[in-house]
Amino acid sequence: MTGAPALASKTTPDTRLPSASPAPRGRAAPESEAGQRLLDVRGVTMRYKTQAHLITATYRVSFTVLQGDRFVVVGPSGCGKSTLLKAVGGYLTPTEGEITLKGERITKPGPDRMMVFQEFDQLLPWKTVLENVTFPLKTTGALSGKAATDRAMQYLEKVKLADFAHSYPHMLSGGMKQRVAIARGMAMEPDILLMDEPFAALDALTRSRMQDELLALWDETRFTVLFVTHSIPEAIKLGNRILLLSPHPGQVKAEINSVPRGQENSNEAAALGREIHDMLFADQIEKTQNAPGE
Amino acid sequence: MLQASERPNIYCETLGPDQFGIIEKPLTLAEQIYNKVWLRKLAILVVLALAWELYGRWLDNPLLVPPFSAAVRALIADVANGTIPRRALSSIEVLLMGFAAGTVLAGLLTVFAISSKIGTDFLDTMTAMFNPLPAIALLPLALIWFGLGNGSLIFVLVHSVMWAVSLNMLAGFRGVSATARMVGRNYNLKGLHFVGQILIPAAFPSILAGLKIGWAFAWRTLIAAELVFGVSSGQGGLGWYIFESKNQLDIPEVFAGLLTIILIGLAVENGVFRLIEVRTVQRWGMQA
Repeated sequence: MTGAPALASKTTPDTRLPSASPAPRGRAAPESEAGQRLLDVRGVTMRYKTQAHLITATYRVSFTVLQGDRFVVVGPSGCGKSTLLKAVGGYLTPTEGEITLKGERITKPGPDRMMVFQEFDQLLPWKTVLENVTFPLKTTGALSGKAATDRAMQYLEKVKLADFAHSYPHMLSGGMKQRVAIARGMAMEPDILLMDEPFAALDALTRSRMQDELLALWDETRFTVLFVTHSIPEAIKLGNRILLLSPHPGQVKAEINSVPRGQENSNEAAALGREIHDMLFADQIEKTQNAPGE
Repeated sequence: MLQASERPNIYCETLGPDQFGIIEKPLTLAEQIYNKVWLRKLAILVVLALAWELYGRWLDNPLLVPPFSAAVRALIADVANGTIPRRALSSIEVLLMGFAAGTVLAGLLTVFAISSKIGTDFLDTMTAMFNPLPAIALLPLALIWFGLGNGSLIFVLVHSVMWAVSLNMLAGFRGVSATARMVGRNYNLKGLHFVGQILIPAAFPSILAGLKIGWAFAWRTLIAAELVFGVSSGQGGLGWYIFESKNQLDIPEVFAGLLTIILIGLAVENGVFRLIEVRTVQRWGMQA
């Protein structure tokens, strides 16, 4: 299978490219807006300068995230997936191409795209768990006073941390901190939730539990999430749509459907995992094979 | 060689919690007493005072080193007749004005420094030039500019506080993690809101350290200024009290003045700053 199909993917869902598994997209979102185009990334090239080099992190990456998608960007380290997510977050500006959310060009960070970071220090240590969740609600003027507290408590209950509302972040474990960060992101009810390897720093057991919880949360509220990971099993388990990026610089290798929910342990999922693995590492294998002849 | 399949699965029974001897045992009284920080510190102070007392008695020359008890007697007497409280108050009044002005100026300078490159360069250059310059060295000039009065004292105090505090603040602001900054920007925080809601709390351990250093610098500068230039306002502060007592060879009073400065320092450190620490950086888990 050759890569590059999604390069020109100014597609509607119907004309999407042939994917590995012809399974239906598996979104049965109850909202009427479900399935509408939400985030458009069109030909985005990201470059940045270090002291000695001009580095191209991604090259002409295009994809579309629909309302209610669990869209996962997967690729090896160095494929610019975090850079791409930061561009969607508005922290970085693309060198080429543009990113639009609901048709509006993204130029700066904003609370309509809440970020969940990998680092545990994303929670403000001087605020309690509850204050951490209410703070963005209040400071952006979304809600105030009791309404903000109620909304925050509602989402803290969803992530099963209501009992810890008045604890400070340093008293929580890594997994709990990430759950607070997710509750904080969801409480804002953003257009899209951006997650930058939020479970990467967790141990394997906690990580697996957090994935289940995230899916359960999604079943409840059907939020749209753009999730970046380097783990293929995580991508298959969490995503309904998976974007594969090749490394140095990041280019779209494929954009495919994942297996239906709850089948992440099936043979189909294993086959998909192998296929993704082969696509991502095909170049490297060729290189090593050619190496002796050079 | 054993194949993996040849090795059996192993299952073990674990003991219930009631089958252990000791899981939790209270510490002995001596251990509990030794674990109290303030008791350990108090013990150190008692030993020092005792050594002083014994040395003073052995030397038997109150003009050089009066015993601890004589210094304490002089201290109590002068506290009772109101001399030391009056002098201390007049020192603290000037000190607080200088310290507050210096801190506010340091804050403004640092905010300017982090909001622009030229500001950073400005602060870097200014602190490199003025931080090593002893504030006392500016007192002669200050006396010409502001006259004999609190004005010149406050000027040198501001000078001694400002650079140390702004250096620490800048270091703290620079150390704020990129993630915390991005979180703030995610919430659309800008300008002073960003500084007040994200940078200052995140940099608070460094800011607090800077304030402590600034406070100590201010004390030193003030007492030194009073010692060198004597009474600069109506009645003079603790430095002048020490100077006067020395001139009259009231050596126990000199020690009483020094003890007062130490006691005020301890009270501010363990009362004010400790309280702020417990309420902020310790509660937030930024400091063990």
